[in-house]
Amino acid sequence: MSSRPLEPMRHGFREELDQLRLQVELMGVRVDENLERMRDVLRTGDLDLAALATEADNEIDAMNVSLTERCYLLLSRESPVASDLRFIVSVLRIVSEFERIGDLALRVVKLAPHHHLLARHEVLFDILVTISEEAVEIYRVALRAWSAQDLHLATELATQNRNLDLYYERLVSELQRLDGLDAVRIAMAAFAAGRSLERIADHSAIVGARLRYLITGEPAHLAAEVR
Amino acid sequence: MGQNIDLTPAVNLTESPHVEELTPDTDPAVVTSAAPAHQVVFEVEDLDVYYGTFQAVRDVNINVHRNEITAFIGPSGCGKTTVLRCFNRMNDLIETARVDGSIRYHGVDLYDRAVNAVEVRRRIGMVFQKPNPFPKSIYDNVAYGPKVAGRTENMDDIVEKALRGAALWDEVKDRLKASGLGLSGGQQQRLCIARAIANDPEVLLMDEPCSALDPIATARIEDLMQEIKDEYTIIIVTHNMQQAARVSDRTAFFTTEVSSESDTRTGLLVECDTTDKMFSNPSDERTENYVTGRFG
Repeated sequence: MSSRPLEPMRHGFREELDQLRLQVELMGVRVDENLERMRDVLRTGDLDLAALATEADNEIDAMNVSLTERCYLLLSRESPVASDLRFIVSVLRIVSEFERIGDLALRVVKLAPHHHLLARHEVLFDILVTISEEAVEIYRVALRAWSAQDLHLATELATQNRNLDLYYERLVSELQRLDGLDAVRIAMAAFAAGRSLERIADHSAIVGARLRYLITGEPAHLAAEVR
Repeated sequence: MGQNIDLTPAVNLTESPHVEELTPDTDPAVVTSAAPAHQVVFEVEDLDVYYGTFQAVRDVNINVHRNEITAFIGPSGCGKTTVLRCFNRMNDLIETARVDGSIRYHGVDLYDRAVNAVEVRRRIGMVFQKPNPFPKSIYDNVAYGPKVAGRTENMDDIVEKALRGAALWDEVKDRLKASGLGLSGGQQQRLCIARAIANDPEVLLMDEPCSALDPIATARIEDLMQEIKDEYTIIIVTHNMQQAARVSDRTAFFTTEVSSESDTRTGLLVECDTTDKMFSNPSDERTENYVTGRFG
């Protein structure tokens, strides 16, 4: 006896899901480009680049709306179940995370006019640049994990202990030591940047956790995502 | 409910030690699930069904729980209906049919020689794919079974109770003497359900009961199933996976395999679990492929 060879079915729906996966990846790449701009703006205070990043974020927001609408359409039209349902619901969550990461990058970009203040304090500035590199690297792991639908990378993101938290603690210590005329302004800008960068890493980890749940379907992995 | 009625003089359910033993703690469930464990009504072990030399179904192991709706899903020819018909010995009516393995009903082997098939069918009623009322009045359709069984209670009460139970009473109470064939398709199917429950069964077997109905009539039958499951144990065969997902507590997925020698197809049970599990994260890849419609 052998199992009956089954014919592939619902070709249109399968193609729609493939397209959706690629579109999410494309949105992720757009966010990545803006994170790159964010990092450069943080280093240089380039106002033109900051304007470009603001413009690009509008495109990211539009992609979020468009992909969300496509998910709603597929849910209503195709009544997906099991891994297909997890996929579409996960896309809804992940595009929302990407959009949020884009917004957080923009918060850092909007500090460009205060670049001279941040750059003046060398130690503080180095910590911020390091945190930004760490956050961008964590985001890129999330994007790679999504592109390859890679359980190992997703699990790494969902469970890792991050160096970034240590850098963030150091940032807070440095801020406590600030004094002088511009201390409050520097502290506010540095705190806003540091906090946004830390949140970028957090949202990237949520992408990993959601991807892990999508792949395994384990309820425990869904619970681990909420933290 | 007819828990105390004997299937035969020789096999008394109330005296069967199995009835007392069928508690959640001693439930030897094949099914592993997180659902609250209701009492087991049917235990199917190594069930094989043959039509002549052709093996239609093999190795079915499944438990059916009281006051639950169990759905059988799977591609055409996978043996869902064949297995369903074993639960009230309908396959006995096919001369070449043969059943191996065992189906225990409250611990009593349904295929024991001493068991009376007519009593089995009274306790385990069936509703078919196409509504099939008798060419009689609405009243007589419902009263027929209890009359044949020699019931002595007030027949009007029996008919009203059954029609109310099938959510049909309000629509037909003023025309009980009209022909059952004059009802709409959905009403006819509810009449057939009333006819089945008038016999005071414990179990209702439903073989694609909504496949000939429009979405509104289908929704009414599905609502009805939810309303009556506190009183009955229901097994439904359906091709509509959304229906299985909507109405059932447990789902069993069947598929077919092809013999390389004879090119014949035999049905087999792939997996049975809570419906939530089966439609969210089934254990077997074949189930996943089927419920998502990826392969079929």
